Amino acid sequence: MKGNLVQGLLVVLLVLGLAACRGTQEPASTAENPQPAETPATAKAAEPVSLRLWTHQNNAFNAGYEALIQAFKATHPGVDITLETFDYDTYIQTLQTAMPAGEEADILQMFGTWTAEYAERLAPMPDSVMTVEQAQQLYYAAPIGGYIINGRLYGLPQEFNCEYGGVLVNKTMYEKAGLTYPPAWKTMDDVLADGKALTQRDEAGVMTVAGFDFNASDPASFSFLAGVLQLGGDYWNADRTGFTFNTPQAKQMLQWMVDAVSKWGVLDPVLFNDTTNWVGSAFFEGRVAIGYIGTWAIAEGKNNYPDFADEWDYFFLPSMRGDPVFVADSGWGLTVSPNSKHQDVAWEFVKFAAADVDNALQFNLTSGTIPAIPEVAASPKIAETMPWVAKALQILPYGRYLGAMPDRDLVIYDILYPHILNALQGVETVDDALQAIDDEANATFE
Amino acid sequence: MSTLTVGRAKKRGGLWVSQRRFILSVTIPMILYSGVGLFTIGWALVLAFFDYSPGRAGGPILGLGGSNPFVGLKHFANMIDGVSREATQFRISLRNTLIFALAVLPLNLAITLPLAALIESVDRRLKTAFRAIYFLPVITSSVGVAMMWGYLYDPQRGLFNAVIRLFGGTPVAWLSDPRAQFLGVSVAMWAVIGAYLWQDFGYNLVIFIAALQGIPQEFKDAALIDGANPRQVFRKITIPLLRPTLLFVCVMTMLSSFQVFDIIQVMTNGNPNNQTRVLVLDIYDNAFRYQRMGWAAAVSLVLVVIVMLVTIVQMRLLRTEWEY
Repeated sequence: MKGNLVQGLLVVLLVLGLAACRGTQEPASTAENPQPAETPATAKAAEPVSLRLWTHQNNAFNAGYEALIQAFKATHPGVDITLETFDYDTYIQTLQTAMPAGEEADILQMFGTWTAEYAERLAPMPDSVMTVEQAQQLYYAAPIGGYIINGRLYGLPQEFNCEYGGVLVNKTMYEKAGLTYPPAWKTMDDVLADGKALTQRDEAGVMTVAGFDFNASDPASFSFLAGVLQLGGDYWNADRTGFTFNTPQAKQMLQWMVDAVSKWGVLDPVLFNDTTNWVGSAFFEGRVAIGYIGTWAIAEGKNNYPDFADEWDYFFLPSMRGDPVFVADSGWGLTVSPNSKHQDVAWEFVKFAAADVDNALQFNLTSGTIPAIPEVAASPKIAETMPWVAKALQILPYGRYLGAMPDRDLVIYDILYPHILNALQGVETVDDALQAIDDEANATFE
Repeated sequence: MSTLTVGRAKKRGGLWVSQRRFILSVTIPMILYSGVGLFTIGWALVLAFFDYSPGRAGGPILGLGGSNPFVGLKHFANMIDGVSREATQFRISLRNTLIFALAVLPLNLAITLPLAALIESVDRRLKTAFRAIYFLPVITSSVGVAMMWGYLYDPQRGLFNAVIRLFGGTPVAWLSDPRAQFLGVSVAMWAVIGAYLWQDFGYNLVIFIAALQGIPQEFKDAALIDGANPRQVFRKITIPLLRPTLLFVCVMTMLSSFQVFDIIQVMTNGNPNNQTRVLVLDIYDNAFRYQRMGWAAAVSLVLVVIVMLVTIVQMRLLRTEWEY
């Protein structure tokens, strides 16, 4: 009896041990050991292929993926692709646990910035699918930038994640305030003047409508970075091994943001920020007149606030100075797992979905996203369905990739925005905030 | 009966077959459960000494080494005097967690103990109704509670500011003003503590009611006969006899306070200016937002040690060597 129990225990421990060691298996193809697909997919047409595609849960995106899968299956008989979706937080955690265990899907939706972080666990794209040079010619610089790591391509973008420059404007409030509509802003001071006129407070002095709300993590951070570039500075050092946030241009830009709050009074940063009255919701609740937010918030706002009766539209802001140079993340795109048994077919699907102009157009129309391909962005169909994209065409070519930060989310959401918010709320001086940003952001390289 | 006979007929090694089956059916799940528990604790312990990220492939053994290098005690040294964002946030989180736990425990006891005595003194049917009403928030989802209190605290449309306005006062940005303080602690922290207490106090209340019912009436009667008034009976008889229950309540309340997460994540997500950032939120952010699993594991280890120390101190202070 005792012997049997011990034997049983040993078997259990062996099984557990083997399960734990599953993550140590060598992937078929890695950054250090790239192994391009052996056989062209077409040669394997007779062999049934079953692939899984993982994406984050977003109804508009998922509709776009379903359409792409159906179209791919129609032209590739014998290939079956199953779409599996996860809500955003669960998706991150699922990737973190599945990838070390080698259990992830064949095709993985990735945000451009994540691609660099997961590069060691992703398959590099074979040159036969697309070279870096071909990709750089096909896509805007900002969206493709995040998918190129150490000179190799790890996936293809499906959208241009532009957080800079776009604002939702409430036409009804403009007309009530007697302001010219559509707005004809030539400088950022014109925007502040409109914002000041549109701001409302109750009898206790509490701001009820923010005239110009730029105080959420993405708009505040990306407008700050764009402002630094437009004023002639840079937040990277010469060889891109460190940050330079404590510069005269950065000080000028942050001071401008603080003045917008303290001198112009277009925003109460205590009542309107990332956690209270977030701009994407507050605009569609009638509490923000000019709301600085990416175009992705439009579909979400329409969906979440179908009864919002005010008339509104989407516009782009003038630059701080000169050309509207800005930085952007690479948006959502597709990558392939090195553990996939059918990498060739998986890459074929990625190319089919993200590089074919017609398919990319269809995906952008369905998902409501800005195209990553200039040819698609200039399409009349895009202009007809998403007129704000047509307005964005003038600035998109000025977009640069944010840069390969050691930890982009940490720098943007945990360092840059919190200190900008502190400066706006008067908790830190402009000088202290910039010094703290510089110190903490540079510490991420260690 | 026949099954028993068959089982008995197969007696081997001093045990009946049915007994062996029972032992196996209990032992194997116990080994599996404790194995999983020990593995995860052991894994966290190991990770605390590595700069581990699940995004990096690392070395050949469980991804440790290589691009997930061994760093020894570096994480712990950084926690003490590091200048990085994660180090400063750890120290802020630790301070906030201590403030939270040290405020919640006395406030919880100040509410639950007198209330339990009051409820214990009313009619039996009313007692049941009160107990049910006060226990309801305990079984309510923390996310729901957090959202409801978030609405109450809303600076523009919330109930609390509506009442303040009614009396001509200045509305307060309860959850978002980094400059608002009360007794040296941010108003946002007090606001979160209020919501947490509302949800949590029913649990201790029910335990105190049960403990009060277990105190023999003879002790109180004897004290009354000796001339004690009801307040003296409560202070001199009831409270001392509640010490074992007090110990349990204090330990459990401290444990749950140190592990507070969901209500804070939903209400403030650590804001404003990290004033409500607590250790478990810090662990979550580092592990799942920033993929710094090694650092998160090190912080978890520190949290475990702190909780153990606090529990030992409480047990030393409140232990009793008698029963009734």
